[in-house]
Amino acid sequence: MLQNFSYQAPETLKDLYALLKKSNGKATILAGGTDLLVNMHNNWISPESLIDIKKIPDLKGVTFNPKTGLSIGATTVCIELINNKDVKKHYPLLAEAAHNIGSPQLRNRATIAGNLCTASPCADMGCSLLALGASVELGSADGVRVIPLKDFFTGPKKTQIKKHEVLLRIIVPAEMAGAKFGMRKLKRIKGHDIAVASVAMARTAKVMRIGVGSAAPTPVVTADLAASTTLEKAVAAAEKVICPIDDVRAGAEYRRFMVKEFVGQIYPELF
Amino acid sequence: MLDNTPKKDLKYVGKDVERIDVVEKLTGQALYTADLEFAGMLHGKVLRSPHAKARIKKIDVSKAKKLVGVHAVLTGNDLDYRVGLYLVDKYILARDTIRHFGEAVAAVAAETPAIAQQALDLIEIEYEVMTPFLDPKQVFDKKAPLVHPDLGSYSYVEAVFTPVPGTNIANHTKLRKGNVEKGFKEADYVIEREYTNPNVQHVPMETHIAVGKWDTGDRITIHTSAQSPFTVRNLFAHSFKIPHCNIRVITPYLGGGFGGKAGIHLEPLCCCLSKLSGGRPVRIQATREEEFSLLPCRSGLIYNIKTGVKKNGKIVAQKMTMYWDAGAYADYAVNVTRASGFSASGPYEIENAWVDAYTVYTNKPFGTAYRGFGHVEFSWGMERHMNYVADTLGIDPLEFRKINALRPGSKTMTGEEVVANTGSVTKCMDAVAKSINYGKLTAAELAREKKTGMKIGKSVVALQKAPAMPPFTGTVMILKLNEDGSVTGSHSLTDYGMGTYTSLAQMIADVLRWPIERIRLPIENDTDRDPYDWQTVASKGLLLSGNAAILAAKDLLDKCYDVAAQALRAQKCDLDHDAEKVFVRHHPKSHVTYKQMAVGYAYPNGNAICGPIIGIGRYIAQGLTNLDKETGQGNPALDWTFGAHGLIVEVNEKTGAFNIIKVASAYDIGQVINEGSVRGQAIGGMIQGLGTAMCEGYIYNDKGQLLNPSFTDNKIPTSLDIPEEIDCIAIETPQIDGPFGARGVGEHSMIAVCGALGNAIEKATGAVLTHMPIRQENVWKALQNRSGKKAAAKAAKPAKAAKAEKPAKAAKIAKPAKAAKPSGRAKK
Amino acid sequence: MKITLTVNGKKYQRDASETKNLLHFLREDLGLTGTKEGCGAGECGACTVIMNGKTVNSCLILAVEANGADIMTIEGEAKNGKLSKLQVAFKKNHAVQCGFCTPGMIMSTRALLENNPKPTVEQIKQAIEGNFCRCTGYQQIIEAVQDASGQLKKKEGLKRA
Repeated sequence: MLQNFSYQAPETLKDLYALLKKSNGKATILAGGTDLLVNMHNNWISPESLIDIKKIPDLKGVTFNPKTGLSIGATTVCIELINNKDVKKHYPLLAEAAHNIGSPQLRNRATIAGNLCTASPCADMGCSLLALGASVELGSADGVRVIPLKDFFTGPKKTQIKKHEVLLRIIVPAEMAGAKFGMRKLKRIKGHDIAVASVAMARTAKVMRIGVGSAAPTPVVTADLAASTTLEKAVAAAEKVICPIDDVRAGAEYRRFMVKEFVGQIYPELF
Repeated sequence: MLDNTPKKDLKYVGKDVERIDVVEKLTGQALYTADLEFAGMLHGKVLRSPHAKARIKKIDVSKAKKLVGVHAVLTGNDLDYRVGLYLVDKYILARDTIRHFGEAVAAVAAETPAIAQQALDLIEIEYEVMTPFLDPKQVFDKKAPLVHPDLGSYSYVEAVFTPVPGTNIANHTKLRKGNVEKGFKEADYVIEREYTNPNVQHVPMETHIAVGKWDTGDRITIHTSAQSPFTVRNLFAHSFKIPHCNIRVITPYLGGGFGGKAGIHLEPLCCCLSKLSGGRPVRIQATREEEFSLLPCRSGLIYNIKTGVKKNGKIVAQKMTMYWDAGAYADYAVNVTRASGFSASGPYEIENAWVDAYTVYTNKPFGTAYRGFGHVEFSWGMERHMNYVADTLGIDPLEFRKINALRPGSKTMTGEEVVANTGSVTKCMDAVAKSINYGKLTAAELAREKKTGMKIGKSVVALQKAPAMPPFTGTVMILKLNEDGSVTGSHSLTDYGMGTYTSLAQMIADVLRWPIERIRLPIENDTDRDPYDWQTVASKGLLLSGNAAILAAKDLLDKCYDVAAQALRAQKCDLDHDAEKVFVRHHPKSHVTYKQMAVGYAYPNGNAICGPIIGIGRYIAQGLTNLDKETGQGNPALDWTFGAHGLIVEVNEKTGAFNIIKVASAYDIGQVINEGSVRGQAIGGMIQGLGTAMCEGYIYNDKGQLLNPSFTDNKIPTSLDIPEEIDCIAIETPQIDGPFGARGVGEHSMIAVCGALGNAIEKATGAVLTHMPIRQENVWKALQNRSGKKAAAKAAKPAKAAKAEKPAKAAKIAKPAKAAKPSGRAKK
Repeated sequence: MKITLTVNGKKYQRDASETKNLLHFLREDLGLTGTKEGCGAGECGACTVIMNGKTVNSCLILAVEANGADIMTIEGEAKNGKLSKLQVAFKKNHAVQCGFCTPGMIMSTRALLENNPKPTVEQIKQAIEGNFCRCTGYQQIIEAVQDASGQLKKKEGLKRA
């Protein structure tokens, strides 16, 4: 690569926290690298050092517990999520969302956590995890805190993560296990593409949520809707949380139209 | 030339033969330019302009020069050399003025790419940003800023091109056939509309790359991924005033070209950096982002077509105005304008035709050769227009095309007569129409519509192209007989994927009657070692080099027969040959093997005759002429390859989403040489065409800066984007002067599929698209505009005016709906 | 940083630059130039290698991340100078034109066939959608994979009319 940086690969969380504290914001976490190395290739960021977290055992793996829900470790890659039997059984929306990301090569490397931390408004895992009411657990030398995902994104490519913090895992609540679901992603081609507009919906007996991507500065989600919400009200709720723009990928008007259209397409799949 | 060998005796020609250059590509052992190592090689990097138009107020490279590891830094001030294929208008590095976003401003050579990048970061430049000229249709605005104020001082090929100094017109190609105004007066309808398409990138998988070495005594060696090594040499020689024999250009394996590598690009800069570095080789490899703006692209086009047509469907007059958005430098664009100008009406006979094609300078990355050489761009407009006219007349679009199709006896726009062996566009159209069950929906298609709720539409379009090349284009093939009775060929046609080398080997094998394994055509070309070829472009390689190959093989045999005649004391007319030997036909035991004579024939007592055997075949285009600069009349076409597509699409009328169900393609290629290669060209080009149609295209902001300079937002088709079904059909009307009757097809597969898609979508839903790319959102927008159009069109169908001496124009002209997309124009 | 890795069954030890990506490391440090650079940004797939059993874009992986990894590149496909069944199928079915995408394409199709010996056409298309080819239009590559997996019933040919 054309940039100069140092590389470290700590083997414990303790070492990771120490490195983060020491670097005071000058270091960048390296998980899958599928966004990070592209940004460096384009010279959009120039980290002084990269901290590779893939050796840390605490960050690996996907576990499910009927009481506490799904726990997705920070270094879980898309293909792991897609193939995980608990995910397929209890949260198939996530398998579908992960399958929407990139190409096979990218899915073998890209992490779910990385997709969230990059915090692109188009993040494929964003709208789906929001629809499932997910939270993220952040850790540092000062301790651990859990934030609802809907509060995690603060702006385009901005999150609540502090300089010395790292995302440890993503938590998907137990009450959303077995939720009916649907997802649609608008692309410019049938091959891999960034979402031009995406909608993910999840519904249990108690709640319905609509997560939307590429139609606001961050991935967004409706308020918790009643499980019996009508299609019209669902469309209205989605429209309320979006503010799409015109850009090289699509026009605002079409994005708005397609978000509403997608809600209409997914709605019957929730019942 | 057409061979009289009965087809049953041809072992290779016409068959599906595996390619001869594929094993090394499959094992990773093929060496492309970036795989080559050179002692002492430095890495070159280019600093590019962030502005579309600017004056360079100040440029300071002192810090860059001091950086350890940097061996050379160059700016435009150091290089007073201009380059240009047809119009010499481009400095190697911008001097004083920036003319496009991404233009090369400075370059460095350093020991590592990282140091080179650091050096670039140390260069200080002050720009005075100016207002760019971006809209080619404003070309006649006298207040428009000039891209090249000094246009009048540039040298150019006067026999062919017409720049207009004091304007942004790099070239104006004119064609005047018959009397267009008279034709319009006789027409029952005059129908006019405008069609547009943006700049598009070739996207070869291997980006541009060159390694230049400038040794003491001005001896230059260039390794480059280029389609035309002799053109690189020639332009270099002219620009730097160095003898041709001192310049050596070598092309290794090439990772695609599609016209983008047809001319000269990075080579001069690499060599200048090398000269400054004391002769160390300097390599510059374009990043993918640089490929999109530093290197050239395909010109955009605004195409206005006005057609006068009779009620019975016969086109009587057509006025075609083309504004080529050619970007900052003329490069190939002036020739694209000329070559497509004479072909712009498509494969149809136009009695009275008028073409004004303008190569317009704009402050954008410049257009170079691109597969189809203008035909993809204008065919979009032409084939959409044919449907528009047909629909206005109430005639089926396929019937309308057949009524007007070029056929034996027709005259093309340049006045060339079509004969039986030119080829048959009608046969092509019939073949694809049959393949897609044109004219109806099958039971399966109706069921599919019912199931999906989508609407299915079909269209048939047609195309033609002749090679765009100088009338004096020639080539040579040399065949050297090896000691073991194999042969090694030497020529400078390049093969960047088309498979031409395999086709040439097949032809040689059938002339020699040898197994193809004994024919070696090395992929690498070297201007020091290999004989001249003009360029590998224009779909002329198979024809010209094929003929040269046949002649070389025959010459080789002739030399072998000479040896055999002497050695066997036989008459040449009594000799024949097979895979191993030349023998006396009526005494076959009396023979000389190729092995025995390859490097000289020795009698048992040691006497020797004849020497090493080489066959030489030279072939040049025959009977072609330049075009008259005022009328566009002449004979420019080596051959015409006609073709057609049939396309089936289904469209979601609510969202604009569409799926291409089937594409059938047919080409009249005279004689199939290699089935797999023809199919590969047919499908590969068609998919590349669909890329243009569906998702590719440059997007600029109003400052002329490129907003999508990478794969992130400049998408190309993936395996998931291909039609569900693909059909490829060959028609074989022999080309009498083609090798075994063959014609080229390299470009043709890309040309008309865009129009096919636009027409099929309109057929399915009434959505009118006149601009590419056709994204889902564009279909949706066109669908919104539909209902207005249908109503207006009904109202606009004029009653036939009674014959009057001065017919009122309004009554004869179909008004395109005002509600249609902006490119349609209502005409008074 | 000192790294050890296995490539095509052979063990390598090198002092790798921390800032070098795996693609450049394979090409420059190990001399395995078969794997190509098409975009450097994980889009085109020309740099595809198989790492620990999975296809990856080697331009998006640092060489040091591959410490301890087991990697396969195009140079490992043919064994003892003999083309693999997959390579033979590519050759037979005209699945190679300029050849620049071919190494990555072979890696993706090899990985597919190892996981799924009889893939459907849709599965083949999905497996290679991260490998751009500008020359072939993909159809003959799909047919080659069908052929390699014993599923090409009838050779799709050029029709005549």
